[in-house]
Amino acid sequence: MTSLPSPVIGAPGRPSWKSEAVGVALAFLLMALLPLVFGDTYTRHILIMVFIYAIVASNWDLSLGYGGVFNFGHLALFSIGVYAYGLLTKAAGVDPWVSLVASGVIATVAAVLVTIPILRLKGIYIILVTFGFAQLVMQVILSQSDVTGGTQGMVRIPGLYLFDHNMIRDGKIGYFYIALALLFLSTVFLRVIVRSRTGASIVALRDNEEYAISRGISLARQRIITLAASAFFTGIAGAFYAAYQRNASIDVFGMSLATIILSMVLLGGTSTIYGAIVASFVLTIFSEAMADFGPWRPIITAVLIIVVMLAYPSGLSGMIRSIWNALAGRLKRPDAALAGKTEERTAA
Amino acid sequence: MGAFAEIMFGGLFQGSLYAMMAVGLALVWTTIGVFNFAHGVFMMLGAYVAWQFVSLGLPIAVALPVAVVVMAGVGWILQASVVRPLIGRPNIVLVVVITTLAAGSLIENGVLTLWGPRSKQLPSLLEGNTVIGGVGVSLHQIAIIIITPLILAALWAFLNHTRLGLALRAVAQNEDASQLVGLNVTALYGLAFAIAASLAGLAGIFMGGYRFMTPVMGSDPLLKALIVVVFGGISSISGPIFAAYLIGFFEAACSYYFGLYWTPALLFAVLILMLMVRPEGIFANQSRGLA
Amino acid sequence: MSVILTVEGLTAGYGRVTVLHDLSMEAGRFGNVGLFGPNGHGKSTLLRTVSGLLKAKSGSITFDGEDITRESPRAIVGRGLIHVPQGNRLFPDLSIADCMSLGAFSPRARPHEAENREKVVKIFPKLAERWRQRVRTLSGGERQMVSIATALMSHPRLLILDEPTLGLAPKIKDELCASVQEISKGGVPLIVVEQDIEFLLELCPQLYLVNHGTVETEIKPGQSIEHSEIMSMYFGH
Repeated sequence: MTSLPSPVIGAPGRPSWKSEAVGVALAFLLMALLPLVFGDTYTRHILIMVFIYAIVASNWDLSLGYGGVFNFGHLALFSIGVYAYGLLTKAAGVDPWVSLVASGVIATVAAVLVTIPILRLKGIYIILVTFGFAQLVMQVILSQSDVTGGTQGMVRIPGLYLFDHNMIRDGKIGYFYIALALLFLSTVFLRVIVRSRTGASIVALRDNEEYAISRGISLARQRIITLAASAFFTGIAGAFYAAYQRNASIDVFGMSLATIILSMVLLGGTSTIYGAIVASFVLTIFSEAMADFGPWRPIITAVLIIVVMLAYPSGLSGMIRSIWNALAGRLKRPDAALAGKTEERTAA
Repeated sequence: MGAFAEIMFGGLFQGSLYAMMAVGLALVWTTIGVFNFAHGVFMMLGAYVAWQFVSLGLPIAVALPVAVVVMAGVGWILQASVVRPLIGRPNIVLVVVITTLAAGSLIENGVLTLWGPRSKQLPSLLEGNTVIGGVGVSLHQIAIIIITPLILAALWAFLNHTRLGLALRAVAQNEDASQLVGLNVTALYGLAFAIAASLAGLAGIFMGGYRFMTPVMGSDPLLKALIVVVFGGISSISGPIFAAYLIGFFEAACSYYFGLYWTPALLFAVLILMLMVRPEGIFANQSRGLA
Repeated sequence: MSVILTVEGLTAGYGRVTVLHDLSMEAGRFGNVGLFGPNGHGKSTLLRTVSGLLKAKSGSITFDGEDITRESPRAIVGRGLIHVPQGNRLFPDLSIADCMSLGAFSPRARPHEAENREKVVKIFPKLAERWRQRVRTLSGGERQMVSIATALMSHPRLLILDEPTLGLAPKIKDELCASVQEISKGGVPLIVVEQDIEFLLELCPQLYLVNHGTVETEIKPGQSIEHSEIMSMYFGH
């Protein structure tokens, strides 16, 4: 999905807008055809979960990878989406689709609020505060058990609807395409941001804060933009998750979900967006493939994460690259030809 | 009188456990510059290891030191396997978060597989109850309140009055210069982890003596330890110790006046407010170092 | 005197960046060795590689007849090759006394701790007055003295000083130069990197000009050299 051809003039090593768009369109078209291959609802359910994870992980990559902001409250933004949707639809009786978008907005507002205390902070302190933020949100939800259900969670949350289409007895096809559409919108949104001037300034702040500030980039403004942008689709993903599962539980705040999603971001290789999406597929499918191992499943997953992180600091993409290089090394250096081609283009 | 005694007692007791946990986190942070998210799992494992020895027939007075030594080994191994290989990488803070989280999940699930999900309990350090200032307390809890400051004082003396402690403080301040006076930096990293794991394990054994043990019993204490180090600053070990007791008292007072329900939310609200005013912690000074 | 340190064909650097290219030098034959040359051309990198902080990519380093190229800094310190790095950052929150104990950490230095401490007090009487003071509260010159004193506590057989007088006021600089002379007279051979050519000429019979990551010129004793010639080596070509 990421292997897009031919670098372009002025941006060495980076695919052009056009080729990237074609690549993304092809990849999503391919994914849209998956229900034709997998008719069973179980596989479709797994794919829907993959799409949700992919949205959450790739949005996290925006703040963590591009922004360099160690936001450990990202899953809290997802959870806010879950509970916002639940409360809006169930307690306030708002239309599910309106609630879905509103949940994204609420998560964005929450992200802006959490950015304020971390504006002056660096590194480890950001981890601590955002972690604290997540716990604060959880405690508030727990303490308001009259409306949130506390530790019991919320059940019978209204699902989404598509005209007169029956969402329940359609073999999950409706939710599959909604999830895919959300992932598509989120991916386009993220890629547009990271390729824009705003994206460049976010990376500049991450790589050399003093210099970027001295060149007139506002740390506060960019940090708020980064976190807010990463929150919108995360909140929507949470809302979708609640609509799809028809319930909300406090488990979404747990360390295990955070660990899995963070692994997706890091295994995928940060600062790519696509890496996190690919890793969501790989990790979820890997995890499903091991369903027979029972209690050994989380153990094997943990070992896998550790091994990959130790051996390939840049994640799966680094692993693929080094395997590719090893293969390419045997095939009479085809990369030399590629480099020649780039030079030709630059000269022209 | 009842209120005062209850808050004092509750604060001292919770503060003791938080201090034991937080000191280990701070020790690892100051010496190596990473955050160990498996620290809560160390606590849990310490309790289970002690339980295993007790169920083999050892008295708790023997099982406790043996388990603490085993935990030192576990800490050393964890450091050598998922932290040391990453030293020198530019994104080490982030990568160590994920490797220690994964290692924690590995141990947690290992414990679940090995010992099963059924709750267990360790024998108390001291059996019996007493009444102090109108509040009924167990001798086990009183023992913890007395033992913890002694252990923390011993740690302080070790860091400040032994050559090895001096070496640990030196590594925390300047790694290159430490190497140039011939310190074995990797061994000192291992030592920091070993001490941290022992203290966490001990806290776990203390906790297992009055509450049921589960494989996830360490996650809440880890969280509290994180809050403690945010309050106390992670650049020293005395800061977190003071902060641990302060938070213990805060919690005890909150739950007395506002109820258990609101205590965590209030705590986090105060935490976030404080960070906006004093991001480096209440007791922290500017530098990274052990004192 | 005999050769104590030999560097042959050394290539080293940081990551993909190579700083030293096939550098060769030796020390000890004529006493102290001075290194000079423009900043950013590999002097500090050379010293960091010799003391083991940086791994050599190729080439060899021999100390007292034994190959130390792949040894850890700790092992090298254990042999008595002691490096005082540039800048006096040291251990800001330790007292001078603590620093001296640390200096004597290696098993080789420990038996000589008392005797070395006496030596340090004799060479740097100023430090004795502030024995319990934290390093961060000292002046720049005093911190430099602590750095050198810590190295003396390690019982050096070869002492490497990287720009000991960098950024010091003239008066304190003279004081420090005198102390370095005294250490040299005490029988410890030195390798000194220094921008102050006068001081270097006075202290070291053998000089190397390090430029572009390699030794460009070697000046042996007896080869009379004028200050102006050195200046032209610096800026000329």
